[in-house]
Amino acid sequence: MTGGAPVVFVIDDDPSVRSSLKFLLSTVGLQVESLDSADSFLHKKPPDVPSCLVLDVRMPGLSGLDFQHELARRHIHIPVVFLTGHGDIPMTVRAMKAGAVEFLTKPFRDQDLLDAVRVALERDRARREQEKEVADLQRRYDSLTSREQQVISMLVSGMLNKQIAGQLGTAESTVKVQRSRAMEKMHAESLVDLVRMIEKIKGPSEKAS
Amino acid sequence: MTGETQSGEQLDLRTLIEKIPALVLCALPNGSVEFVNRAWQEYTGCSLQPLSGWVWQTTIHPDDVAQFIDEWTVALAAGKPFQTEARIRSADGQYRWFLIRKALAVTPTRGRESSLRTLIACEDINERKEAEAKLQETEILLQAFFENSPNLIFVKDRQSRYLYANKEFKKAFHVTDEIKGKTDDELFSAEQAAAFQAVDRQVLEAGLPTKFEDVVLYEDGQHTRIVQKFPLFNAEGEIYAIGGVVTDITERKQEESARRYSEERYRLVVETASDAVISMDENGTIQLANSATRSIFGYDPTELIGKSLTVLMPEYMRKLHEKGFRGYVATGDRHINWQGTELTGLHKDGQEFPVEVSFGELTSNEHRIFTGFIRDISKRKLAEDKLRASERSLRELTETIPQMLWSAEVDGAIDYCNQRVLDYTGLPAEQVHGAGWMKTVHPDDIEKMARAWTAAVSTGEPFQYEFRCLRAADRAYRWCISSALPLRDEKGRVMKWFGSVVDLHDWKEAQQALQMTQVELARVSRLTTMGELAASIAHEVNQPLTAVTNNGNACLRLHAARNLEPEVLRRALEEIVADGTRASAVIGRIRSFIKKKPAEKNELQINEVIEEVLTLAGREIYENRILLERQLTTALPLVLADRVQLQQVLLNLIMNGIEAMTAVTNRPRLLGVQSRIDESGDVLVAVRDSGTGLGLETDRVFTPFFTTKVNGMGMGLSISRSLVENHGGRLWATPNSPHGAVFSFTLPAVGRGAS
Repeated sequence: MTGGAPVVFVIDDDPSVRSSLKFLLSTVGLQVESLDSADSFLHKKPPDVPSCLVLDVRMPGLSGLDFQHELARRHIHIPVVFLTGHGDIPMTVRAMKAGAVEFLTKPFRDQDLLDAVRVALERDRARREQEKEVADLQRRYDSLTSREQQVISMLVSGMLNKQIAGQLGTAESTVKVQRSRAMEKMHAESLVDLVRMIEKIKGPSEKAS
Repeated sequence: MTGETQSGEQLDLRTLIEKIPALVLCALPNGSVEFVNRAWQEYTGCSLQPLSGWVWQTTIHPDDVAQFIDEWTVALAAGKPFQTEARIRSADGQYRWFLIRKALAVTPTRGRESSLRTLIACEDINERKEAEAKLQETEILLQAFFENSPNLIFVKDRQSRYLYANKEFKKAFHVTDEIKGKTDDELFSAEQAAAFQAVDRQVLEAGLPTKFEDVVLYEDGQHTRIVQKFPLFNAEGEIYAIGGVVTDITERKQEESARRYSEERYRLVVETASDAVISMDENGTIQLANSATRSIFGYDPTELIGKSLTVLMPEYMRKLHEKGFRGYVATGDRHINWQGTELTGLHKDGQEFPVEVSFGELTSNEHRIFTGFIRDISKRKLAEDKLRASERSLRELTETIPQMLWSAEVDGAIDYCNQRVLDYTGLPAEQVHGAGWMKTVHPDDIEKMARAWTAAVSTGEPFQYEFRCLRAADRAYRWCISSALPLRDEKGRVMKWFGSVVDLHDWKEAQQALQMTQVELARVSRLTTMGELAASIAHEVNQPLTAVTNNGNACLRLHAARNLEPEVLRRALEEIVADGTRASAVIGRIRSFIKKKPAEKNELQINEVIEEVLTLAGREIYENRILLERQLTTALPLVLADRVQLQQVLLNLIMNGIEAMTAVTNRPRLLGVQSRIDESGDVLVAVRDSGTGLGLETDRVFTPFFTTKVNGMGMGLSISRSLVENHGGRLWATPNSPHGAVFSFTLPAVGRGAS
């Protein structure tokens, strides 16, 4: 499990709403950081712990939906729980399509908010785990020699040792040595394991090719 | 040898007679001839014998003999002198004139009987006689010449007395009696006579002829004459008379000036003519060419003279021309029209060009001269072609342009419609022409449109009229606009009208739709304003409420976990109280905001505002099948109000009324809008519905956030009341009978001291 306690960012221009939200979320043991505008979040260093945003759609400066758009543009994949005083359907649809976790109309039931935050944090945690795993695999893959990478990609595409040796113009025994060394570096326990790892690195689209 | 002598002998006498060179004969008293001398015999070629007795008389000319014998016998018998003239035949048979007279009477002394003898001498006077005859002939001739002369001829003596004047003279000056001896003073005016006599004196003094031109008044008017006067000399070389010849040149003078004028004019015309003028003879040879031939044909006029006319025409025309021309000269039949025929000319440089030729013929001195007037019409042709092309393209334009076009005569009768008009109306041209177009006009528009057209035609003002026109394609009347402008000549008189017809139906519908859209937009904007306001209010109020709820819930959670510390609770409660206070402050702020918002107050006619709002709500009224009942009192006093705010209040009340009736199905949905003066003199507006009514909550509807509607915000009436109060009026609700509610508001009338 990746590190640290999760953080909930509450962004609302109304100080009493901000502090009441922080109070409410703290009752379930969540760490809350409250901010008065979307801009101040963008100026912060992105957190490296599971986190989510609780955000009022209607705010001075960057509006909630524009802010969501801006996050996507910056590849900040933080889940958002929207709050609104007077939301309409089109606005809700837009927000949900853009990846919002929940769209709550003020005043809301406290449990609804807590559930939404929990879902958001879980989603972020999963995402972070996956990202971390891919990064680890990539690091290991990068540590391979270029010949080892060549051999692995041929293996993954289904070629036998003999075929690989033929194509590369080396002895089959050499291929065998390179293969076992690469699997060791990748921490792969089997060929299936190795294939899964490479898929994760290249992304799902590579699998099809 | 004259006289008589008593002496002498016969022999001597005979000898004597023989010696006389003249023809002599000796006659007895009875008339017979005794003997003739030798000269006589020689002349007549006869001896005595056949001449003696009476025989000699046969030598006398038969025409003269009778008279001669008469005179002869009488004279001899009476012993009287005798003299006569007669023609005597000579030996060669020719007659000559002789003067025959008694030369001597003698009585011979010796003889058988005493008898008287008479000597007759015949003197040859033939030459004189002939001269005389000749003179007489001349005289007759002269007489005839003078009398028949068309000139006036006269002779005056040295004293300017007329000796002679011819018939023409007498006729000219109307002299009927004898002119001889008369002077100019008796015939002419003193001035004229003096002038004539002055010339006479001049002739007499100078002894020379003179010639001058004068103008004299004749019986029939003024005449211009050439007068010649000259002296007449006698044998001694002395002037004894003045002759005059007057030639009347009046006619010639006129002719001459006319001729000179026409010649001059002709010369001028020919020389300055821009047309080539070329004369040719019967053989087609050019005799004369004017200077325009240079610019038209490129030939110098002198170059052309003597050449055939055919050099001025292209090869292929020459044969035809020659044949036609010869034919004409021979028969008089023209193979082409001589007036303004279009032919092709050939320039010196070989270029062909169109010409217009007119010919004329003149016979002069038995010679026939043909004169051609040749005009270069290439420019005209070009212009004509251009004009034709432009006419064609204009016609094509009028036919292809996607517009209905027409034209009309000065009197307004349509004389042309393009195909579009015919297509549109589905009528043939002749049925649209004149006043036929009226068939296509909607019956309700015909009269007014015809009047407008007549007015335009009579004043010359531009015409424009919107009317409904029957379109053939769908047999529907469609809105069209017809416009026309007059075409005027340089004097500003209308010559023609050109017009168009445009089908505006779609445009008009679009315009109506647009108007509808604008109404809709305005309505939406009014509603949105209200909605925006409501949304803003919701946000404002929701914030403290959210905080209150959050704090409350947090406390409850901590309490449930028995983890609520008193200090935490105290802080939470403090915040709850603060937020509650804040929520009510929001409402207050909104109301004061509405009050503070500067209203643009103007003097308004409340009925106008009502109508505007009814238009805005038109669609809702229609779609919800609401029966609208207007009870608007006319001539209401004006109110001082912000038009937009007033519209918002009214729209709010009307929309509420409509919404209150949407559930009503068992009775008419009646919306009454009333305007009137109330008891206190204020302007009162009441909106009445037959909806669900307000029940017991009549007064609570004005409380913020109170609503009887499923989706209501509960702010509309609250805001409306604030707005009305801000105008110094009141807004209240009462139940309607038997169903629904009445919302009424008042506004102070202008001039009654609004608060």
